[in-house]
Amino acid sequence: MHVKSAKSFRDRTQEFQSIAEQLKKSFSSGSVPDGPSSSSKSEEQRSAVAIQSEFNRRASKIGYGIHQTSQKLAKLAKLAKRTSVFDDPTKEIQELTVLIKQDITALNSAVVDLQLHCNSRNGSGNTYSDTNSHSATVVDDLKNQLMSTTKEFKDVLTLRTENLKVHENRRQLFSSTASKDSINPFVRQRPLAARSAASTSNAPPLPWANGTPSSSQSLPRKQMDGESQPLLQQQQQLVPLQDTYMQSRAEALQNVESTIHELSSIFNQLATLVSQQGEIAIRIDENMDDTLANVEGAQGALLKYLNSISSNRWLMIKIFFVLIFFLMVFLFFVA
Amino acid sequence: MFVNLDIYGFVCSECIARMLNLNQPVNATGTANEEVYKILIYDKFCQNILSPLIHVKDLRKHGVTLYFLIDKDRKPVHGVPAVYFVQPNQTNIQRVIADASRSLYDSFHLNFSSSIPRPLLEELASGTLNSDSINRISKVHDQYLEFVTLEDSLFSLVQKSSYVQLNDPSAGDREIEEIVERIVTGLFCVLATLAVVPIIRCPRGGPAEMVASALDQRLRDHLLSKNNLFTEGGSFVSSFQRPILCIFDRNFELSVGIQHDFRYRALVHDVLGLRLNRLSVQGEKGGMRSYELDGSDPFWVVNGSLEFPEVAVEIESQLNKYKKDVDEVNKRTGGTDGAEFDGTDLMGNTKHLMNAVNSLPELTERKQVIDKHTNIATVLLGEIKERSLDSYAKKENDMLVRGNIDRNELLGVLRGKGTKMDKLRFAVMYLISSENINQSEVESVEAALREFEVDTSAFQYVKKLKSLNASVATANLASRNNIVDWAEKIYAVTAGVKNLLSSDRQLALTRTVELLMDGKPNPEIDSYLVFDPRAPKSSSGTSHMRGPFKEAIVFMIGGGNYVEYGSLQEFAQRQQPVKHVIYGATEILTGVEFVEQLTLLGHKMGFGSNAAASTR
Repeated sequence: MHVKSAKSFRDRTQEFQSIAEQLKKSFSSGSVPDGPSSSSKSEEQRSAVAIQSEFNRRASKIGYGIHQTSQKLAKLAKLAKRTSVFDDPTKEIQELTVLIKQDITALNSAVVDLQLHCNSRNGSGNTYSDTNSHSATVVDDLKNQLMSTTKEFKDVLTLRTENLKVHENRRQLFSSTASKDSINPFVRQRPLAARSAASTSNAPPLPWANGTPSSSQSLPRKQMDGESQPLLQQQQQLVPLQDTYMQSRAEALQNVESTIHELSSIFNQLATLVSQQGEIAIRIDENMDDTLANVEGAQGALLKYLNSISSNRWLMIKIFFVLIFFLMVFLFFVA
Repeated sequence: MFVNLDIYGFVCSECIARMLNLNQPVNATGTANEEVYKILIYDKFCQNILSPLIHVKDLRKHGVTLYFLIDKDRKPVHGVPAVYFVQPNQTNIQRVIADASRSLYDSFHLNFSSSIPRPLLEELASGTLNSDSINRISKVHDQYLEFVTLEDSLFSLVQKSSYVQLNDPSAGDREIEEIVERIVTGLFCVLATLAVVPIIRCPRGGPAEMVASALDQRLRDHLLSKNNLFTEGGSFVSSFQRPILCIFDRNFELSVGIQHDFRYRALVHDVLGLRLNRLSVQGEKGGMRSYELDGSDPFWVVNGSLEFPEVAVEIESQLNKYKKDVDEVNKRTGGTDGAEFDGTDLMGNTKHLMNAVNSLPELTERKQVIDKHTNIATVLLGEIKERSLDSYAKKENDMLVRGNIDRNELLGVLRGKGTKMDKLRFAVMYLISSENINQSEVESVEAALREFEVDTSAFQYVKKLKSLNASVATANLASRNNIVDWAEKIYAVTAGVKNLLSSDRQLALTRTVELLMDGKPNPEIDSYLVFDPRAPKSSSGTSHMRGPFKEAIVFMIGGGNYVEYGSLQEFAQRQQPVKHVIYGATEILTGVEFVEQLTLLGHKMGFGSNAAASTR
């Protein structure tokens, strides 16, 4: 889809401003704009403007923060994707992950603050209803953006975990002494595995997010239980080299997992806040038609009532005439 | 090759996106450059323009927090710019001045749906100067968007009752000129948005010629001005790049506006009342449901032109496919018990689970679409059975093809099922399609109509139309490979060529557009006028401009409908290579609405309503 370079609209601002200039010159002798009234009007407006501008400032700061975070996230995604078996920029990825996590937590608290501020201001009642709805919508929009950024972060982390697993497998395939060596580091990993078991039990709510790291931990756990003892002495000299490497990998995995766990808590928080919003595909003219239908229905009901009232009137008049008739007859017979 | 007309709806949404972005170019991600939150204000006409194109979701994406009608009582919102999208008329300008003087918003970006005339601009300037708020008006733009885009190749000018106004015997010259002006403005906006200067062709006489010459003049004037909007097309002067604009009048083929059609899109529009791509039907559990049917609905796009029974079959097959997919997902995830944890397969399970969760939204959406169309089809079926619309459609088609109908059959239909409007439409179709008017038959038809208290003014009007012997040129059409001379009748009608490739009768409109696009000389279209706004006024009969056109814009004055639209799209798809045809009209009318306009004309001509009851 190419974007049309030619514009299909016309800018009349210049024309408008030239007209304004001309008129100003012709008006300059005549009217003086109302001095005192405009200043008093502007005073009460100034306070409202000040409050609103502070809100705007904070909102734009949060928006800018979200934008920057998503840029960092894009960089992280690129790094996570291009990893290979031996050239793994683990350190960079970890640094970036920590940074992004901090950013998201800070933004989250800022958005919550903004919402509290907005609610308190709306509750105090010295702002207009439209301003309130505008502020509420702005806050909702920021929450949505933060939520989508968090989701992307989670996706990147899952991707990273999968890549790590793939590297694991590939390493096992490539290295010749893999089958014997791979068992050994699992001995060393026993304390780490114990820790990871504890952390998996702490994270119930997101089975699909935690499923992958926990499954990766359970794999080495099972294989570790058997045949660890006899091979320990034989492979002692090779252990230190691979040990540090495996340790760093395990640490990376564990970091990823804990980050996902923290993310899930942020997720839940945001979700409760944004639950009303949703992806409602409403159209601009929808409310209009509803109110129109309601108004027409009300009008119909009122008309019906009017008819019943007026018909009652006719009925009463008829009864009245009948009464008069009987009165006449009575008078006629008596008199 | 298809530079211009490919992405019609997209162009409109893009124009609106750009407008919402305060007329700065939208960057690649499609969101605003800075986090500027704005407020959108529109009037009733522009609401109709915006609703099919943009939903509240998209508004939020562009940073619009609130949206109001200009007539509504609005409160100030400080510190945000306001984007106005209104028609350039007196009341709107007054409202803008009032808003500016009350300082409702921080800055005002005014966008007018068509070109704002100079006097109104001056009024705006003086009004805002007087209230000392002129510095709030930051921008004034002409957007040239005064038309409603319903689908990718369908637009409407939403000008009500244009047929009545143009054919009104009591209409004065000035009124007709006004209407022609409005139509020309709308068409000009369409061409400006597409940034093309087409070659205009139209039949002689009637509103079509008036509109075509006025549009030609408007384009010429505009091209002479300094910064015209069509500079991009300047390099492509050859006819192969420029599209053709064919303007027709409703009287060219009256039958299409009236007849019952049995295709899905036409049925939904005619029977259920599709307005601006929105539909309200009785839901299955009671209560009204409101649906949207536009380009984003995959089922509607693919199956809109099928006949109704085939549509039902399609829904059935989609439902089965959906059920199969759901079962598959269930099998892969829920089927395996949680206890079987074999190590190698655990990863697979979780992966399956993740895939299942990810595919849930897509499945839900598919189900929603299927449910929507099932509901619509059920309601349609009810109506069809009650009014036996299928027999109406079939008999009308037969009448048009054969040219006559058995008298008993005719009267049987009139006495049978169907609303009064259905019967009236059938009677008018009989009148239009019969080659020779049998006076006694016509009288029996009228008697039958009166028996059912149907307002026969429309019938009388069409009868009068047929009997008038004006000197307007006719368009001859081939009927069963013979060229029949319709010299007794004013306007060309019906009985198109039975197309060998498809079983449908081809509309006269489609056939004429095909001939015009081919560009070869043909007795049917030789009498058509040619206007080329780019050619200098003196040169006429530019023969090199008549080469085959690959793109066309077809415009119907007086009311178009989905039948013509479907037929044109079918024709365009059938060609080798595929051509592009955009269809537009002054308004999109159902058969009922058009017959109501004919009734109005009948009343104006003094035929009166013989029956006391109304036609509904």
